Amino acid sequence: MDDTRPPAPVTQGPAATGASGSRLPLGGWERALLAVLALLLAGLIGVVPGFYPGFGGFLALSENFLPFGLVALGLSTVILTGGIDLSVGAVAGLSAIVAAELWSGLHLSIWLASLIGLAAGGMFGWINGLIITRLNVEPLIATLATSFIYASAGTAIAGASPPSGFPDSFNALGTGAIGGVLPYQVPLFAVLAILFGLLIGRSKFGRRIVMIGYNVDAARYAGVRVPRMLCAAYTISGVMAAAAGIVLAAYYSAVRPDMGDVLLLTTITMVVLGGVSIFGGEGSIAGVVIAVLVLGFLRQGMLIWGFSDMVTTMLTGAILLGAIAIKNMLGGRGAGLALLLARLGRKRVRQEAPARAR
Amino acid sequence: MSAAGTLAAGRARKPGRARRERRELTLIAATIATILLVSVSRHGFMGEQNLRFMILDSVVLSLLGLGQTLVIATKGIDLSVAPMLGLTALGTGLLAQGSGLPLWEAAAMSVVIGLVLGTINGLLVAKLAIPPIITTLGTYSLYSGLMFVISNGTQVDAVPHAYAVLGNGVLARFLPVPIPVLVLAAVLALTWFMLGHTRFGRAVLAVGNNSTAAYNAGIAVTATQIAVYALSGLLAAIAGLMFLCYTGSATVTTGTGDHMELQSIAVALIGGTAIAGGRASMLGTVLGSLFLSVVLTALVFVHVPPIWYSAGEGLMILVTVAAGRRAQAAARS
Repeated sequence: MDDTRPPAPVTQGPAATGASGSRLPLGGWERALLAVLALLLAGLIGVVPGFYPGFGGFLALSENFLPFGLVALGLSTVILTGGIDLSVGAVAGLSAIVAAELWSGLHLSIWLASLIGLAAGGMFGWINGLIITRLNVEPLIATLATSFIYASAGTAIAGASPPSGFPDSFNALGTGAIGGVLPYQVPLFAVLAILFGLLIGRSKFGRRIVMIGYNVDAARYAGVRVPRMLCAAYTISGVMAAAAGIVLAAYYSAVRPDMGDVLLLTTITMVVLGGVSIFGGEGSIAGVVIAVLVLGFLRQGMLIWGFSDMVTTMLTGAILLGAIAIKNMLGGRGAGLALLLARLGRKRVRQEAPARAR
Repeated sequence: MSAAGTLAAGRARKPGRARRERRELTLIAATIATILLVSVSRHGFMGEQNLRFMILDSVVLSLLGLGQTLVIATKGIDLSVAPMLGLTALGTGLLAQGSGLPLWEAAAMSVVIGLVLGTINGLLVAKLAIPPIITTLGTYSLYSGLMFVISNGTQVDAVPHAYAVLGNGVLARFLPVPIPVLVLAAVLALTWFMLGHTRFGRAVLAVGNNSTAAYNAGIAVTATQIAVYALSGLLAAIAGLMFLCYTGSATVTTGTGDHMELQSIAVALIGGTAIAGGRASMLGTVLGSLFLSVVLTALVFVHVPPIWYSAGEGLMILVTVAAGRRAQAAARS
């Protein structure tokens, strides 16, 4: 990754041609995922009784996995820089506990407390960024260490009986629905997903993030302030983890220090399945969003079908391995897949697709 | 061919050797200092019972860490060590509890389980070119799911006498060396020799240092990668059997519940192994695990609430790695 390539990053990623105004449609990987999602939903609705109990009930299924999606958005930003954030689970738990304790201890409004919780999550992420950039510690090690520390702090603050029984208006964030049909979580995730899509794919900030992941030396020579950008990426990841923690708190109407433990492995799976390279520098938010929906609905469908939690977890692992193996065999980032799909379907082969092969 | 391989490995190891020995000495000094400091102020810390406990407690993690160290030396990572440990402990434990599986059969079974699961990891990494962190994340889900499937809601709470002897016995009355420590010493000696004094060890370090250069130098990169993951699985399985014998219990969350995969990475890093590959210390990993065990026990003695133990672990990782980074930078300038 540290080879000296010519300024290739400019031809990289969907927004590369942004200046000329043309916009690349979803890449091969994203299109394949979308097809999988459509087939999956059709299959589940057809096969699993009770998967589609009406539109409202169907949408309500998403309440179970959209918190994972929130974390995945923030984690994507970090992974695009070539880093990783193993502390998202601990940050989610700790931030939610901070918010809940402020509410029950200082009698702050739950919404104000949640805002402070979000800020605290940002701070925890920023600390990760500082450790990585100032102390020169690899992201994997730094966030592994801070995840231990944040988890301890969360357990210590929560004490023996963490707060629970939040006001109903707050719990609605986790389980309520607008007009009884559209869960509050859906517009929340949708708005944030669009924001992240614009931020990563269409903004200067996103270009720099992807560039750092593609070739950090090139980014530095191009004048990108790498430490500052990395701190920003980890801060974003912290805020999103905190958001997930707060939504989970509303979902359960309770907080627990180990609440976020389940988040980490599943969200990394979502990000990677979405086509983001674990080495950074390539991937799109659209892919991650589709992967969140694929994995989320698959899991819910299997649970409703009567499979145990562990069997669905096993399947998630198998899907991750299978997907990456297929991606590798077809060449980097679904370029080969795009060609294949194009050949099978209409004959519109984008010039960009083969050029993006690694 | 082998000359170039030695060159690649040698260049990585020469400056590394001085640093590494310093890290090992530092760890020994820090361990002794901690023991002295606490035993002066707290009674019973130096007691035979407690010393025994601290050493035995670190054995399982040391075994796991040794496998992890080999994998990290090739620039890989193995997150699936925890479920591999758990699967072995649970699988052999259930058979021992249910049908009185003889100890030697349990040992043979552990070896097979470890090698098979580890080789699956290795094949995925080396043959399908799936990044190690993704591969072992996927197999983590698979193997921990398998634990639930085989447990079927039951757990192990008692093991036959022979198992307990292996886990808690001593060599002889006049030479009270615990048997698990002997097992660890044998494994450490073997892996230390393998890494530092064989062609395979040089291949491991060369692949971790620069896999393209290693490939061009004629080193069998694919075979080396498969071998380290298989060895990691084998050591995780041995750790699982020792865990079963030592504690006499196993549940569906054995290994994964305590996040042993993260702990095994932690002790390798504390021991001076570089996460970027190409530099590893077997002795450092064992010393790191012992140091961790001593510090955590010391925290008990100075009445730090247990909830802060993992924070202490995190701080130790940061301090040792950041300090190593400082020393490296100082040595370079």
